[in-house]
Amino acid sequence: MYTEKYNGQYRKYVNFIKRYRAASNAATGSEVDSNANVENKNIATCSGELCKREKIGCNRLLMMDKITEMFNPELAEEYIRQLESHELYKHDETSIYPYCVSITMYPFLFSGLKGLGGMAAAPKNLDSFCGSFINMVFAVAAQFAGAVSTPEFLMYMDYFIRKDYGDDYTERWDETVTAPGVLRQRTMKDLVHDKFQQIVYSINQPAAARDFQSVFWNIAYFDQPYFHGMFDNFVFPDDSEPCWETLSFLQKDFMKWFNAERLKEILTFPVETVNLLNDGHEYVDKEWADFAAEMYAEGHSFFTYTSDSVDSLASCCRLRNEMQDNSFSYTLGAGGVSTGSKGVMTININRLVQNAVRDGADISERVREQVEKVHKYLLAYNAIVEDSFNSGLLGVYNAGYISLDKQYLTIGINGFVEGAEFLGIDISPNDRYFEYGKMILEPIYAANRAAKTDSIMFNTEFVPAENLGVKNAKWDAEAGYVVPRPCYNSYFYKVEDATCNLLDKFVLHGKLMTQYLDGGSALHANLDEHLTKEQYQKIMEVAVQTGCPYFTFNVPNTICNDCGYISKHKLDRCPKCGSENLDYATRIIGYLKRVSRFSEARQEEAAKRFYDDGQIKV
Amino acid sequence: MMGRLKFDGYDIVMQEVPGEISLALNITGCPHHCPGCHSPYMWEDRGEFVADKLPELLERYKGMITCVCFMGGDQNDQDLAHMCGYIKTTDPMIKLAIYIGAPTVRAISGSFPFFDYIKIGPYIAERGGLDSPTTNQRMYKKQPDGHWEDITSAFQRSYK
Repeated sequence: MYTEKYNGQYRKYVNFIKRYRAASNAATGSEVDSNANVENKNIATCSGELCKREKIGCNRLLMMDKITEMFNPELAEEYIRQLESHELYKHDETSIYPYCVSITMYPFLFSGLKGLGGMAAAPKNLDSFCGSFINMVFAVAAQFAGAVSTPEFLMYMDYFIRKDYGDDYTERWDETVTAPGVLRQRTMKDLVHDKFQQIVYSINQPAAARDFQSVFWNIAYFDQPYFHGMFDNFVFPDDSEPCWETLSFLQKDFMKWFNAERLKEILTFPVETVNLLNDGHEYVDKEWADFAAEMYAEGHSFFTYTSDSVDSLASCCRLRNEMQDNSFSYTLGAGGVSTGSKGVMTININRLVQNAVRDGADISERVREQVEKVHKYLLAYNAIVEDSFNSGLLGVYNAGYISLDKQYLTIGINGFVEGAEFLGIDISPNDRYFEYGKMILEPIYAANRAAKTDSIMFNTEFVPAENLGVKNAKWDAEAGYVVPRPCYNSYFYKVEDATCNLLDKFVLHGKLMTQYLDGGSALHANLDEHLTKEQYQKIMEVAVQTGCPYFTFNVPNTICNDCGYISKHKLDRCPKCGSENLDYATRIIGYLKRVSRFSEARQEEAAKRFYDDGQIKV
Repeated sequence: MMGRLKFDGYDIVMQEVPGEISLALNITGCPHHCPGCHSPYMWEDRGEFVADKLPELLERYKGMITCVCFMGGDQNDQDLAHMCGYIKTTDPMIKLAIYIGAPTVRAISGSFPFFDYIKIGPYIAERGGLDSPTTNQRMYKKQPDGHWEDITSAFQRSYK
């Protein structure tokens, strides 16, 4: 009798545990959400996966109730139909948290971790800042499903270094700063690097409270115009102001340190973005543009965001924030750094295109109809988040690190390239493809702008779709749609296409397409080998010329599985021990990670990626 | 007299001409026929006339490339010189490079003054290509004072 009861209710969970034990790695074992930042297959990740389906069901019922309350029961039915038939995908349905956030750390300066339910009071010196900062990042991340961005991390760190060691600390960089008699003598540089190490290694530690996921930690670097745009009028609690000269020094030093540290460990986080202003022709801050090119040439992997106005900023892994309010406030700090997305719903464009063609319908009209529905779904979702906020459940918001009206409701797109291929359009810079882009993206962009209110903002993102790309391809193939590859692209070009050269990729990710993507897209320029600084400088100019706002370069790093040696190059043999038992680290969308820890389907996609090696045989 | 030069495909390449972002044109009808050649199909007379397609390609990559690299073409020096002249009139800042299989530049005396980079030498399988330390092939770069510097070592970086 009991056997029957328990078999009926819980057998599926036991079966899941058995399958999870047998899976080759954590990402493959994950049935629902194979995230990039789950590195380990262990009891904590298994536990996290166990009840994901129940959470999805719970989230859907919450949504059905809310859609019925705000609109009508038919629309609630339609929402579920669209999800179950895979016309639409709601990201992170396995959690009840808002999606991602870029925070202002201003409240942290005044009340430390107390606002987040912690004990630590406001940081008073460099040591307490660094320790509490780590805890703050974990505390904030515990209440979001996705990325946490702290654009002000180095700006605040610079403040605390200056507070402890003086405004001229960069001039005393190589001087010993430890007291006489201390056995471990440290220079200013050693001391700061010790802090970098403490923070970066701590935050890369998989977090038990997050089902053994790491925090998706992002930071930003600013060039001088961005710094002024973001932090003019900013004052610290002691009435002092941020200092560009020392911050610029510290930003550069952190990048150099992090690049070198990645020769010791494949450190996934922080994901870094350099924000550079351009004037439509060239970069305004030449020194920082040059430095970025130099860092690329030294093998560092980071994103560059460039815009012709400092009123937009990329602070999360690709989220573009058209800043509403850039001003400083004594309660919220720098207005421009707060952003994020409350939730993302992604339209399967390939499916939409094929259905429209099947029904003889106008594709743009179908996009408009879909967006109208998605806006309603997202408004219902927003109301659920507001319910949580009003009941005091969203501690990070209550503590002032972010506010609901600063975050977007995001429409994602996936299967964009595949829809064009179905229509027989050549995926290259050509008028037909750009027309297609406009036909799909412009109606979404227009609807987003029209629906904006004081408290609601919609944006559109070419979502990374690190596992959705695989799932949509699988679902569409099963449903009999034309599916050209087992993982839908996250770019405007085909990843496996050897004829689409590096410059074409910049054109495809240029303004003709990305002008409609107010929530972002990222070009990952895969290269077989690093370029020279001069070459990177030129390519960065190409980005300005083509209007490609967000890009990175990606050269696979080699990791020796026998001796642990890490190289910034793609090698066939370990230069240290000669082993051929090698692994490669590359970006699974945004995050640098070992290929062997991608999910199996994503590993197949990675193997097919075309790396521009420019090897023409004559 | 050979026919006008044809090409079969192009690419944007980063490693062929050190430090440059090059539009590389795969010139067909290669007369050298090196044993062990990676692309024997390039020996055939195939593809489109380079001169017909060049204006469109230069327009497409205007301001983005720093160099045009002819992968072959020494069988028709006159046509080559004509195209080099055309490219330089379009954009005087653009550099010009050529990969040829001949051991000397004798065959390209007419176009020679236009080039900033020249790679010479047949492919000999046992000695390897430019990236092999034992290669017979050489890449030269014209210096501001007009002399040609051997930059072959730039291809032989051993990565760690």
